[in-house]
Amino acid sequence: MSAQTRLEPFLAFSSRVTAFTVFELQGTGQAAAYLETVVGVVGEALLGDLLSIDEAIQREADGDAAVRDRLLRARIFSDERLGPVARHIIKLWYLGTWYALPKDWHEVFGSVEDDVTFVVSAAAYAEGLVWPAIGANPPGAKGPGYGTWAMPPKIPAF
Amino acid sequence: MPSSAPVDADTIYDAVIVGSGVSGSLVANELSKQGFHVLVLEAGPGEDQTIRGYEKYLSRFYEATSKDNNSPYPANPNASMPRSPAVHSLAAGQPDSSSYLVQNGPFPLDSTYTRTLGGTTMHWEGKALRMLPEDFETRSRYGQGLDWPISYDELAPHYRRAERELGVSADVQDQAELGIPFEPGYVFPMQGLPASYLDQAVAAGIDGTGVRLDGEDYHLKVRAFPQARNGIPNAAYDGGKGYVPVGAVSTHQVEQGERCQGNNNCVPLCPVQAKYHAGKTLAKALAGTVGKVDLRTQAVASRVHVDHVTGRVSHLEYKAYADPGSPEHTTHTVRARLFVLAANAVETPRLMLASGLPSSSALMGRNLMDHAYLLTWGLMPGPVGTMRGTVCTSGISDLRGGAFRHGQAAFAADIHNDGWGWAGGTPEVQVLDLVDSMNAFGPDLRRGAVDRISRQLLLAWMVELMPDPSNRITVDGRYKDALGNLKPVLSYNIADYTLAGVAQARSLSRRLFQRLGVEDHTDYRPTDVGYVSYQGEGYVIRGGNHWSGTHVMGTTPANSVVDADQRSWDHENLFLVGSGSMPSIGTSNTTLTLAALCLKSAEQMVRQLRDETSAVELATTTGSAQA
Repeated sequence: MSAQTRLEPFLAFSSRVTAFTVFELQGTGQAAAYLETVVGVVGEALLGDLLSIDEAIQREADGDAAVRDRLLRARIFSDERLGPVARHIIKLWYLGTWYALPKDWHEVFGSVEDDVTFVVSAAAYAEGLVWPAIGANPPGAKGPGYGTWAMPPKIPAF
Repeated sequence: MPSSAPVDADTIYDAVIVGSGVSGSLVANELSKQGFHVLVLEAGPGEDQTIRGYEKYLSRFYEATSKDNNSPYPANPNASMPRSPAVHSLAAGQPDSSSYLVQNGPFPLDSTYTRTLGGTTMHWEGKALRMLPEDFETRSRYGQGLDWPISYDELAPHYRRAERELGVSADVQDQAELGIPFEPGYVFPMQGLPASYLDQAVAAGIDGTGVRLDGEDYHLKVRAFPQARNGIPNAAYDGGKGYVPVGAVSTHQVEQGERCQGNNNCVPLCPVQAKYHAGKTLAKALAGTVGKVDLRTQAVASRVHVDHVTGRVSHLEYKAYADPGSPEHTTHTVRARLFVLAANAVETPRLMLASGLPSSSALMGRNLMDHAYLLTWGLMPGPVGTMRGTVCTSGISDLRGGAFRHGQAAFAADIHNDGWGWAGGTPEVQVLDLVDSMNAFGPDLRRGAVDRISRQLLLAWMVELMPDPSNRITVDGRYKDALGNLKPVLSYNIADYTLAGVAQARSLSRRLFQRLGVEDHTDYRPTDVGYVSYQGEGYVIRGGNHWSGTHVMGTTPANSVVDADQRSWDHENLFLVGSGSMPSIGTSNTTLTLAALCLKSAEQMVRQLRDETSAVELATTTGSAQA
């Protein structure tokens, strides 16, 4: 798979699990860096499996959100191999940080080089989605301007 | 420009200043304005004299996985600094020497400072409170602590100068209501910062709450804190001359930081330099043309030498290193007519004690104070926009003074716009918990983040601590840093007087949460660092980074280390400046007061430098050569 063809299903999955649109995810400018981070740590095969299962779930759910969420939980989030990686993809988007995978994951699926906790980049920190989710700026970046803090928060609808 | 080139050993400076933090920078600037030749020695690196250097701090912070209050500043074993992640619970009788600050106990103190150009003002929050007049006389008024050798009225003109230099935003009326006198018509350089939406929600619920302490009634009112942070200039300042905020400083032209932008990151670093840091004063000092200021960074003062005939300081030794990663260094000597130790209330007594100079009062390093912080936290009934604005805009200051101080500590409370972070409940922690433990994803995760973060309320109760000679900084030959300098050893405990204030704060917090309908999530566990038990209830006490008292000022050489001008009683050409001189700290963050003290002391230094004849200089240099 080329990087471009991988990016599309990666963004589709990311959008479902973060509740941000693909457009918003693209807007962070971090999509390629996050994809590279995931592939770099767990490898293409694992990510490929995760994304094909996600695509199958979409076909099967056929637009029914409750069915989709049940299947995501059953086939991805509770899967011993894929679950921890899926949760880490959510954290990447929300916090800009890759967290080292749990010890028992390594014990079962083999140790992975470069699996340490790290902030993907200074820009990734500032693009964490937790900040727009709560209607705030990341501490230390994107200062909203003098006195804005006195106004009621604007928490975006989704 | 900062330089690490060795100082010319033949130069006799008018003054050598150890430390480039707020104290050292203020003194350097004042002496330079009067035409003197000054050398500033900074133990840490000096990369923030350029915007590029300052931004390096910022990217180091962005990229740090642990965002503690020293995370923007590089690790440097040659001039190490205390860091929160290095503080552990202590086993009885076993000092923890695993990090730079050796904790001898019994209480482990999580307080830090920053050893870099600009000192701890790089990471300070920026509150710039005057002390109450009664804080200067707690011994005579309340039978507690120590009286100052000077009164509020004597310090008031210096407070005004400090407020100009640091650039303070505040409303006079708010402060005057607390019993702080201001000269008629005084306004602060800049208008008070607007209260956050969270402050307003808290005020709506608790303003007017009555508190009865020791038979007297107090009524609470949420009010803004004075802050050394740029806001809207007051046109009426300085008799109508107004005020121009000082933004980012750099060796290159740069225009930012003339207003606070609400980056919510005062601690550990304001990204736009809207918050005062000592680099702003130092930049003026370095650019001054009346006198001359030389700056040496990566130069760690290692020994103060005294001429035993005259009692004067003859010279100072320092260790210069080129690479923070290597202990390789060279040792140099520097001579001056006046020596000023402005290294902070831990490093200054550490240097004196390491030089074998415990002071004839034996009080060097003793009477260590900090504020005891009790955190209480919960969730407001609905989203209040937590994580916006400066780290703190308002709080409760009505219990800073009163007759109850006979029996228990005074206290104040900060409303934290940055939520539960200090208590370990950052947005990061919330997201990780939602994803890993609550199994939330998609819309549940987004809603969960709002529910758990935007409703956060954290009150930080600042409780006063009185001077106690057994709370102290010492040195011990067993503990040395990478350059072979003795590390500071801290012995610290919290007296019942303070704990009574802590208990009162906890109980008041419960009442306020009840009024606000706040879900109380406050949780103190016996395994937490700083856990104490008092009268059957457990609390966790954190440090406030307000190190003070360790070269206490007083009225005689027997009861103090320095006089009211912060001049050493033992050595007439040595000044120990900063919060270490303060005999009490009340419920004020210490920076504004220590800045006022330094400006006062600088006047005495100028008088002394002018009065001394060259004959005295010669005698001193000759004397030291023989010694």
